[in-house]
Amino acid sequence: MFCYQCEQTTRSDAGNGCHTDKGVCGKDDTTADLQDLMIYGLQGIAQYAKRLRQAGQPQTQADEFILYALFTTLTNVNFNANRFVQLIKETAHWRDQLKTQYAAHDPESTAVLTAGPAQWQPAASLPGLLIQAKDAAINLDLQDLGADIIGLRAMLLYGVKGAAAYAYHALMLGYRDEVINAGFEDALDFLATHPSNADELLNWSLRIGELNYKVMAMLDAANTGNFGAQQISSVNLGVVKGKAILVSGHDMHDLAQLLEQTQGLGINVYTHGEMLPAHAYPKLKAYPHLVGNYGSAWQNQHLEFARFPGAILMTSNCLIEPDNSYRQRLFTAGPVGWAGVRHINDSDFSPLIEAAQAMPGFREDSPEKLITVGFGRDTVLSVADKVIAAVKAGAISHFFLVGGCDGAAPGRNYFTEVAELAPADTVILTLGCGKYRFNSHDFGTIDGIPRLLDMGQCNDAYSAIQVASALAKAFDCGVNDLPLSLMISWFEQKAVAVLLTLLSLGIRGIRLGPTVPAFLTPVLLAKLSETFDLKTTGNAAEDIQSAMQMAA
Amino acid sequence: MPEYQITLTSRDGRQLNFNCAAGCDVVSAAEQVNIKLPSLCRDGGCGACLGHCDSGEYTLGQYSAGMLSTAAAAQGDVLLCKTYPQGDLQISAPYDYAHIQFGRQQARQAVITGLAQIAHRTVQLNLSWLDQQADKAVQFEPGQCMELEIPDTGIRRAYSLANTANWRGELEFLIRLQPEGQFSNYLRQQAAVGQVLNIYGPSGAFGLQPNNVNPAILIAGGTGLAPFLSMLRRLAEWGEDRPIQLLFGVNQENELFYQDELQRLQAKLPSLNITYCVWKPQQDWSGGFAGTPADALQLYLAKHPDQYDIYLCGPPLLVTAAVQIALAQGIAEERVFSEKFG
Repeated sequence: MFCYQCEQTTRSDAGNGCHTDKGVCGKDDTTADLQDLMIYGLQGIAQYAKRLRQAGQPQTQADEFILYALFTTLTNVNFNANRFVQLIKETAHWRDQLKTQYAAHDPESTAVLTAGPAQWQPAASLPGLLIQAKDAAINLDLQDLGADIIGLRAMLLYGVKGAAAYAYHALMLGYRDEVINAGFEDALDFLATHPSNADELLNWSLRIGELNYKVMAMLDAANTGNFGAQQISSVNLGVVKGKAILVSGHDMHDLAQLLEQTQGLGINVYTHGEMLPAHAYPKLKAYPHLVGNYGSAWQNQHLEFARFPGAILMTSNCLIEPDNSYRQRLFTAGPVGWAGVRHINDSDFSPLIEAAQAMPGFREDSPEKLITVGFGRDTVLSVADKVIAAVKAGAISHFFLVGGCDGAAPGRNYFTEVAELAPADTVILTLGCGKYRFNSHDFGTIDGIPRLLDMGQCNDAYSAIQVASALAKAFDCGVNDLPLSLMISWFEQKAVAVLLTLLSLGIRGIRLGPTVPAFLTPVLLAKLSETFDLKTTGNAAEDIQSAMQMAA
Repeated sequence: MPEYQITLTSRDGRQLNFNCAAGCDVVSAAEQVNIKLPSLCRDGGCGACLGHCDSGEYTLGQYSAGMLSTAAAAQGDVLLCKTYPQGDLQISAPYDYAHIQFGRQQARQAVITGLAQIAHRTVQLNLSWLDQQADKAVQFEPGQCMELEIPDTGIRRAYSLANTANWRGELEFLIRLQPEGQFSNYLRQQAAVGQVLNIYGPSGAFGLQPNNVNPAILIAGGTGLAPFLSMLRRLAEWGEDRPIQLLFGVNQENELFYQDELQRLQAKLPSLNITYCVWKPQQDWSGGFAGTPADALQLYLAKHPDQYDIYLCGPPLLVTAAVQIALAQGIAEERVFSEKFG
């Protein structure tokens, strides 16, 4: 295996990346290699889908399969080698279907796509698949092309994966877009050409950033369209006596289905991790048995799931190796998988509900502890006048957007320190699960505006961009001229997609941490620093000072 | 009394350290600090606690030769319940860290809900948790065992669960009645529906390798079918079809059982193929293969050479014979997983 797609990947003097029999995330070499091979096959689907689209025959179902399949390969999503053997078969099946259709459309077409993923036939046995996977490795041409080109290819692929995951969430809520589907086909078709031109590759990454902006807009529409615009809402961090289900991951559709299926059963539903923003959506919070938020961010799940006295549902990233103490009462859905953990198909949550009813649940209430969520774009923009007035009056001197993933690395304390050290006349906007490190602190208010405004999940970066754009318009300046600093904590590929979106919008001076992605070589980092003033996180106090001086 | 440090490395590379006093075996030493290593009989008789000593001095107590051959012992294989350190030991375990349990194991009471002879010398025993108010969960991995205690005796015997983990408090066992077995005598003479037993577990590390994609061959001797039933029932319940050949063997056809259930499982698992093996059938028997499952394995491997994961559960003689056949046919030793019972 070779994999360096996430923040915690192995780093050593000998080179970066997980390359032994198991990655840091727990993904074994067989699974990693099968994922690479499946992505290779997906490029074949994309090659035909793109050409059929040009011939007026869009392949929506094949595109939807691509989204799902890509999502399974994100960090901490699917660790089940058997599942990938099956998905490789399905990939080849889709590719063959489109190949036949394309040949029927254009009998000369066989002369065009004569090799590579367009023609690949999956081996019948596992050893054969693993041999084929060698040609699908992300670092295949490292010796010939060098680490910079491989890093650029990786950044593009990881951006595609992150955007695909967001598109899949939207799809589950019934939202799809042919322009977006075409974007994925184009990017995978481009990757199938073994690109080696650095400028072209970087340009493609920015195109994926643009595509992901459209995807996040679609997901925003899907969330608000299905569940209403976010509202300012109180969420109880305490527990309520009774049977219990914990929902982790990101998928609002799964949560909505589960809430519907557990109505009136006397089971309380709790959100975990990135599901927290669910409490802000009117149609979700209307369910009285959605009682609160339990635990914190994904990396603490071993402890929190073990202590939770009910059934647990993991709807998307981030799953880590389930401990014995809760493995039997853990269920996966959608793209997620772990061999030996029960997977829920077609939103039929009855096995999960049965488990919750058999488990003891919470024996008594704990003291109520409330936090506030729901500062999505509609909420913030509805008080834009007040915010603008506070800025003009000097009551608010600066905004810090502290967004992205949490993780186990000690360097992630930086983001807590930024929040805690930010001066009293500044506002902190949060996105993603990185906020759990400080979201129960009391930051106070400025002229009635809370100093800590949680905008939602990582994909609600879209909301942040809308708010920043509206403020820029009000102040008649560019987003880069606003007294706004972005501190982005990244962990996996959704964050890569969001970063590419921010860069594609020309946003400068982002601080990225806690470490630089392993695929960004010194040369690439220098290039991004030069072009976008991208910086790494340093000392929180100094970074705050520097940000406020620059804005002043 | 000297104490030695034991460093145990699980198959997935995680390490565990604990001390073992001179004169104490490794399994008991771990238990003293609330670490439950996979083990069953604790008497060198079942092979469930097999490990490999990479370095250090030790002596082995008495054990059944069928569980650990002289050659294997000479290479450093050990039965941890009979391993007495004489220095610090580095031990490799053939199971993952997840199979090690932590914390003190307490008995739970279950009531007998069903007791039926389903074939010659074969009993199906069903139990249900007595106190279901708190927690109805029956949580275990297919292939694991529970220890059942004969009332008022403190005598425990381990049996594989034949059903799947469930939330209804149900446990199912298939038990071979041994002529002089203590639990067998209890079942024959005293056991009745409504009686309450103490249950310990689950324990054991025998089970389908979760992340392997090779086709599997399951070789069951008699009630050695129980762990495989659990595995197949779970695959069926979860809708996870995969290529599996089951060779289910008994001595005489009147010892066969659960054929209807296996047929039901085949309907749900299209890639499951079953061969019934009867060692000494009546002349007119035509229900499958006349011979032992080991003979059937030899024939199967010769006809269908491939990379397989081979799982065996049954009497030691059968398991030993089948392992030898598998190895002789080129199956790698690490792809053979077995559990023997006496």
